[in-house]
Amino acid sequence: MAPADAFTLLFVTAGAILFLAGTLGLLRFPDTLSRLHALSKADNLGLGLIVIGLLPQCDSVTAGLKLVCVWLLAQLSAATASQLIAGAVYRRKSGP
Amino acid sequence: MTPAIGPRPLSSLLARGVGFLILWVVLIGTTPINLLIGLAAAAAATWASGLLWPAHGGIDALGLLRFVLRFLPQSIVAGVDVARRAFAPHPMLQPGLVACRTSLPAGTARRAMCALMSLQPGKLPVAVDPDGTLHIHCLDQREPIKEQTAADEAAFCGMLRDGAGHG
Repeated sequence: MAPADAFTLLFVTAGAILFLAGTLGLLRFPDTLSRLHALSKADNLGLGLIVIGLLPQCDSVTAGLKLVCVWLLAQLSAATASQLIAGAVYRRKSGP
Repeated sequence: MTPAIGPRPLSSLLARGVGFLILWVVLIGTTPINLLIGLAAAAAATWASGLLWPAHGGIDALGLLRFVLRFLPQSIVAGVDVARRAFAPHPMLQPGLVACRTSLPAGTARRAMCALMSLQPGKLPVAVDPDGTLHIHCLDQREPIKEQTAADEAAFCGMLRDGAGHG
């Protein structure tokens, strides 16, 4: 196996494990806010590892940059969405 | 809530527009029809960023680098921490809300700090009171959340050119 393929295999597997952890957290953590921790943090690291793992497979610099941009945009949207959901849950709990 | 909007130099707007266009090209490609739509999208994004980005909200390049160098390892710690708790036979959690103070005024900078903090280990800001009290949900209340929050805020403020992030 070529070193680049071994690198990809290692990082994509680690990323998949992190996604599994995020899903397990979603199912096992006790409340909505705790579940948000699982989704926002584990999935972002998982996606980052998968992106790093796929970089050696890119056939151009633009393709690599595209992957990194997708990761950054996903981080941005995950952070913003978790903030909005957390705010809504907090307001509902604390009442009008 | 409304950011301070002031006149911006044309060069600043142009640089921003070029940046958005480069992002479009990286994501979508360079065929003529895509480029045409990209020009319109970059113009719209520049207009929107003029409304949303505070007029005096400059970012210090060295501060940004320092922030990123701290943020990336912290993101790894955050993901591994959640994974460790999720895979544990009995999730090791003591979730709850912790109240901290923030010195950042209400506005874009404070919202950005809260969003970035939600990607850091064990913390999820859920609300900010008008007096600057930050309510943070944490996975384990035994951890030094207040100290970690203060460190996160200091790192974030180091990135802002005016140090306090007006608006």
